[in-house]
Amino acid sequence: MFKELDPLLHSQLRLAVISILIGTEEADFVFIREKTASTAGNLSVQIEKLREAGYISVEKSFKGKMPRTTCRITPAGISAFEKYVDALHSYLQPK
Amino acid sequence: MEKLLNEKESLELIGQMINTAKNNLEKGTGKIFLLWGYLVAGISFGTCILSMILPKQTAYDAYLLWFLMFFGIPFHFWLIKKRENERLVMTYIEKLMRWVWIGFTLSVLVVVVGMLLDTVILSYFVSRVKEGNDFVYWFQWLLLTPIMLCLYGFALFVSGKAYEFKPLVIGGIICFFASFFLFFSIHKTGVMYFQQFVLGVSAVAGFVIPGHMLNRKEYKNV
Repeated sequence: MFKELDPLLHSQLRLAVISILIGTEEADFVFIREKTASTAGNLSVQIEKLREAGYISVEKSFKGKMPRTTCRITPAGISAFEKYVDALHSYLQPK
Repeated sequence: MEKLLNEKESLELIGQMINTAKNNLEKGTGKIFLLWGYLVAGISFGTCILSMILPKQTAYDAYLLWFLMFFGIPFHFWLIKKRENERLVMTYIEKLMRWVWIGFTLSVLVVVVGMLLDTVILSYFVSRVKEGNDFVYWFQWLLLTPIMLCLYGFALFVSGKAYEFKPLVIGGIICFFASFFLFFSIHKTGVMYFQQFVLGVSAVAGFVIPGHMLNRKEYKNV
């Protein structure tokens, strides 16, 4: 039986963000933007959606005089990611 | 615009993104290796040469050169601060390695400070009692270099394996062998000079060479 795919994660950019954060302790907004080859505006919107869902936490600080945005995945985000990967497997290897 | 993916594309994207930060080496790590590598190697070779040049009665004064290590501390914190400012991502491996090197530093401090304090206490005790068996006063210092090399070996070997960076692994193994070898040569005459020479060579193999290679690797990754 097919499991339902989390619509919040089943989008290219949001899935890319969550996948980067699952493998790291924390990542800077600039790092995520470079690795996902996205625009700052679009990435900000998608990060905000993930933050609102409680999947990631976002911390704003200053590095010298430059503003810095650091993202971390939350336990709810890890759980959602695991369920999403499980659901993907059910589609690829249906019983 | 949200681009929806099919299941296969999703899995490919996950794998691709997870791998982006895998084995990430923090920019600036190589410079920290070079700072301590050159300092330890320079002081070791300096102590070795100076202790051979100085008259026998004052030969051990050459070891005062080791107090130059304190000059490395402000540069170390400056490099750490610079690295922190440039850091864009922290992987779980980097976090773990940070604690391994903090643990290594604490181990080194415990051994060195412990021996220094013990020497001060022993020298006071021995000079008061004048039993003539003051060998205990200096014998422990023969163990310092092999213990240090063992600690170097541990930290380098673990870092090399975690970052999958062979020069660090090889450097760690060289330090282990050097440590093992020095434990077996403790009874030899003139071993203090020899220990300093081996320590210098190990610092070059374990810190200087991998440090330069790390620098080149970090530069290529930019």
